[in-house]
Amino acid sequence: MSDHDPGRHASTQVDDGRRRLLKAIGLGSGLAVVSGGALLSTPAQALRTSARIVIVGAGAAGVAAANRLARALDGARITIIDSRQRHLYQPGLTLVATGIWKPSKVIDSNARYLPRSIDWLQDSVAEFDPEASRVLTASGRSVDYDYLLVTTGLKVDYDAVAGMHPDLIGREGIACVYDTPEHAERSWSMIDEYVGSGGVGLFTRGPGGIKCAGAPLKVAMLTEDLARERGSRQSLQMVYNSPGDGLFSQPDMDQFLKREFPDRGIRINWHHRLIGIEPELRRASFATPEGTQRIDYDFIHVVPPMRAPDALARSPLAWQDGPFAADGDWLEVDQFSMQHRRYPNVFGAGDCVGTPIGKTAASVKAQVPVAVNNLIDALRDREMKASYNGYTSCPLITGRGRGILVEFDYALNMVPSFPFINPYREHWVPWVMKDRMLLPAYNAMLRGRI
Amino acid sequence: MAFSLFGIIAVVLEFLRPLLPLIIALLAADIVITGWLWASKRRSWQRGRHAALWLGGLVAALAFFLAPWLTSASFSDFSGVLDWGSVLAGSITAGLLAALLSWPLTTLAFGKRSGA
Repeated sequence: MSDHDPGRHASTQVDDGRRRLLKAIGLGSGLAVVSGGALLSTPAQALRTSARIVIVGAGAAGVAAANRLARALDGARITIIDSRQRHLYQPGLTLVATGIWKPSKVIDSNARYLPRSIDWLQDSVAEFDPEASRVLTASGRSVDYDYLLVTTGLKVDYDAVAGMHPDLIGREGIACVYDTPEHAERSWSMIDEYVGSGGVGLFTRGPGGIKCAGAPLKVAMLTEDLARERGSRQSLQMVYNSPGDGLFSQPDMDQFLKREFPDRGIRINWHHRLIGIEPELRRASFATPEGTQRIDYDFIHVVPPMRAPDALARSPLAWQDGPFAADGDWLEVDQFSMQHRRYPNVFGAGDCVGTPIGKTAASVKAQVPVAVNNLIDALRDREMKASYNGYTSCPLITGRGRGILVEFDYALNMVPSFPFINPYREHWVPWVMKDRMLLPAYNAMLRGRI
Repeated sequence: MAFSLFGIIAVVLEFLRPLLPLIIALLAADIVITGWLWASKRRSWQRGRHAALWLGGLVAALAFFLAPWLTSASFSDFSGVLDWGSVLAGSITAGLLAALLSWPLTTLAFGKRSGA
């Protein structure tokens, strides 16, 4: 048979093609096996224990911790207490409030993420009794624990702004991106109206520790960007009211924003803390070093102060004095180990903890493994080694289609996860991450995979 | 914050989760067609590959030009090597995947041997 035999030639071609296809299928199968492993993997040796572990709060931190503990422990009685059925992807609220996402995109259910092996007590905690290692629920149940993980989240303190009530969001030019998709959606109707009609727009920020401290800045910049896109920018007088003398805790970003806002025609009032609003008059009151100042507005983005939920705030678990007590009665934890400083069988994670920085989903991603691993080490009676470095992240969206991926730690040093992304420059990639990738990453975190 | 390999895969799987039924159906169809083509030997994989590469090229080009629109952005938002490199790499990846997944189908459709 010659080399020019058409039959052989065809056969060689077919085999070559098949071989390539099989290689591709092989690679795909390998990836599928690895992927399946990622979804189904469990630790090689789960710790056998009969410990009673109670998690208070089924937000991001609580659900992620429940999944990690359920996989790491064998025989433990894990109970999570929360009456909420809905799970909200709160990092997406900024996008809902600026008309980029539909509210349904941030609404999920806790039942989809909570492991079946744990007990879900659909109730709320009314009282913490750490001396007796017990919590009391609103319905009167008493739940004893050996270890407690506090992940209650925080409370948006609307009452701290006189005249403000959540029902006002979406009326009289009042917006507030925080808390629920309903608030965010109603805020979008106000922003949309303001960009169309123009006038004075006041953007505020609550003092102290607030959830996603970049959100008030993002709302201001996205509103400005929208007005520019619609050609109505000239009719908007935008004023950002900072309660202090900075815009952002990370100094490089602070400098960037202090240039960016004036460049975009957004005036900044320093030391202007919102203390009240008169919705009918569309007038806001600010505490300033010169006394109370009243400013008329057509639109206002209200960002109230935030604090620990009442049950936690009035419990012995809260900081009893110092800046974290004054700021919001936050949970007293060691900022590195996430263990309570006075009650060693109590740990905390998420928005409720009193640490120098945090209160973002990215912080939760970093804090939960530390709290869980240290709790497990405590169970084993071993030295706790895991340490939280203060990692937090803010995809600082400066306009539709661009942003800066800011990641920093307790020392306020930039700690980029992806060295190829410049944390000092606007790019399209951080926007894509915010718009497309962070929700899947958040869901993977809830499942305890990252 | 470092992401482990498993962490990245977990995120990609969460990203694909809504599309998993479609992806599984497509892969199942590919496997069935591949099996049939393998057994019948009446189709030229090479001819199918040419068509698949053309399709992959088209998908890559579409992905490149539609990426800003698909992400509520525009090319004016792009800045530097990071953004252009990412959209290029993403488009090429989309094109390669499209070519790979469509190869059995294009072989079925266009790979008939003359005289077979």
